[in-house]
Amino acid sequence: MGLGAKALDTRGRGAPFKFFTAYYISLYSKMRARTLRQLLQGIKDADANTLFHHLFHTIRSKHLIPPRYANDFAHWVGEEVGDEELAAALSDISGAEPATIEDIRKELVAVLEPHADDRAGKSEFVFVAMEPVVVETSYVAHTLADFLDLVEVVPGESIVYHFVTRRVLEGTGRNDFSTWLEKNFGLSEVAEALSRIDPLMYNSEESLRGDILKTLKRYLL
Amino acid sequence: MMLEKYAQFVGEDEIDAIVKLAQRLEDLSILHVNSTAAGGGVAEILNRLIPLMRELGLRADWKVIRGDQEFFTVTKTFHNALQGTTSAVPEHYYTIYEKWQEINANELDLDYDVVFIHDPQPAGLVKYRKKGLWIWRCHIDLSTPDPHVWSYLRRYVSQYNLAIFHIPDFARDDLDIPQLLIPPSIDPLSPKNMELPQTAVERIVRKFDVDPERPLLLQVSRFDRAKDPLGVVEAYRLAKRHVPDLQLVYLGSPAHDDPEGEAVYNETVKAAGGDRDIHLLMLPPDSHVEVNAFQRAATVVMQKSIREGFGLTVSEALWKRKPVVGGRAGGIKIQVIHGVTGFLATSPKTAAHYTTYLIREKRVREEMGNAGREHVRRNFLITHQLRRYLMAIAYAAKRHRL
Repeated sequence: MGLGAKALDTRGRGAPFKFFTAYYISLYSKMRARTLRQLLQGIKDADANTLFHHLFHTIRSKHLIPPRYANDFAHWVGEEVGDEELAAALSDISGAEPATIEDIRKELVAVLEPHADDRAGKSEFVFVAMEPVVVETSYVAHTLADFLDLVEVVPGESIVYHFVTRRVLEGTGRNDFSTWLEKNFGLSEVAEALSRIDPLMYNSEESLRGDILKTLKRYLL
Repeated sequence: MMLEKYAQFVGEDEIDAIVKLAQRLEDLSILHVNSTAAGGGVAEILNRLIPLMRELGLRADWKVIRGDQEFFTVTKTFHNALQGTTSAVPEHYYTIYEKWQEINANELDLDYDVVFIHDPQPAGLVKYRKKGLWIWRCHIDLSTPDPHVWSYLRRYVSQYNLAIFHIPDFARDDLDIPQLLIPPSIDPLSPKNMELPQTAVERIVRKFDVDPERPLLLQVSRFDRAKDPLGVVEAYRLAKRHVPDLQLVYLGSPAHDDPEGEAVYNETVKAAGGDRDIHLLMLPPDSHVEVNAFQRAATVVMQKSIREGFGLTVSEALWKRKPVVGGRAGGIKIQVIHGVTGFLATSPKTAAHYTTYLIREKRVREEMGNAGREHVRRNFLITHQLRRYLMAIAYAAKRHRL
């Protein structure tokens, strides 16, 4: 049930929502895999920033991956090793809240371990880490009305930063939007609904933004 | 503001982020050092980047090292050895290299807060560092270097605060400094990439006896075995069996520092065997508008390299909405996304197969062309490189977190 458009101009309690955006520095991890066994070892050894890169950079619509696989590991297994079934299983892991990088690592290992033999890819898998560089934007929401309008117009990188990076990489446990809506307005229902969105299922910032916006409108308008 | 002109391609938010990042660094003096003021991709990009950095209020300078012919013979030999194409570097070459590092260190003021040293030619200057954060920007393929030359250079590179490579394949396991990955870029406003009127495109290609009404396969690159010109001719021949009116343009420039170039050119002429639809063009290095016109006139662009640094001609073609059939080498792999922005092909046979397919399927060609343009728009424009360099400085200076 919507809150109603008429109520949205009321200022919320507490802090306004300041939108930040993040760009990412790519760093060589000094780890490479030629076979499925080495890929598994790499996934076990990689730091959080490296796993984050290979799992989530696809949301930032880099056009590097054909959409049928949602992350780099699945893509390599599907396209380079040629095991479609395993690739699909790796692609379909869940990244929804409250999954942390460690939870996702466990799920990846569980899927990959039984199949991790010496089959090799056509080219090697090179592990890369990413380090966010956070930049302020000029977008600030003082009311729910502002917030709703701004979610539609802020840079796509900003949506990913607040919805994914803060939670998964910076360890806030929950996406910033849900936290703000619940803390300032007690809107636990919409906050819960946002939390159920699995960012690993998106291949572009815009499709993620679209679903966040749809959810917000359903509860707020 | 020049920077504002790029908003039409990347959006105002991207420009705002660049301005904000620059504000974080405005107290730092920044120096770029390379070995040539004109000619070559590094000089080309610095010519555009430095004015943009200054416009952002950054104190950015660019200095070029000097050397005699002997020095540049040495650095050319190092260059080839590092890219894995020459071995046997005479012992006295290292002395010549060091002599010129010292001369340049004495002549150039290197006391900046951040110093970018581009490529191996001036890498040894780090020995004379008095202050500042030093970043080694490597533009070449270091994946299979000559071990002696690399172990010599590595002693210098290890003294830097960080290194930057184009792609992870070129990064090194035997370096203990942070290695950042930043691809190079094209400038959409430069003569090589700016929009051209259709009439100009037609006029220019006709000047070289190429028919703009017939299908055209194009490769823009030096006559160098690494670019596989013979493979290109073979792929064209195989494709022509299905597309009889196909034309091939192989557009290169004479490279005075490459004695092999002429031999490879002659081999290619021989392989072409008097086919009037094969145009092997040798144009002066500043023929940017001509390259632009041919890329726009092409039906399919090929970059069939066996070895490649980054291969920015791929991004140039994608920017003009042309699908690219590329070799599985170096930076081509991150520009040509197989089945999305073009196709990766290792043999002349597969290259011919995908060329024929693309010539036959206009809709696929257009879809891939649009995806290619978007891929470049999001990743390989000069504003991305500018932002990434600012991010690298912020990272080196530990200012990347708010």
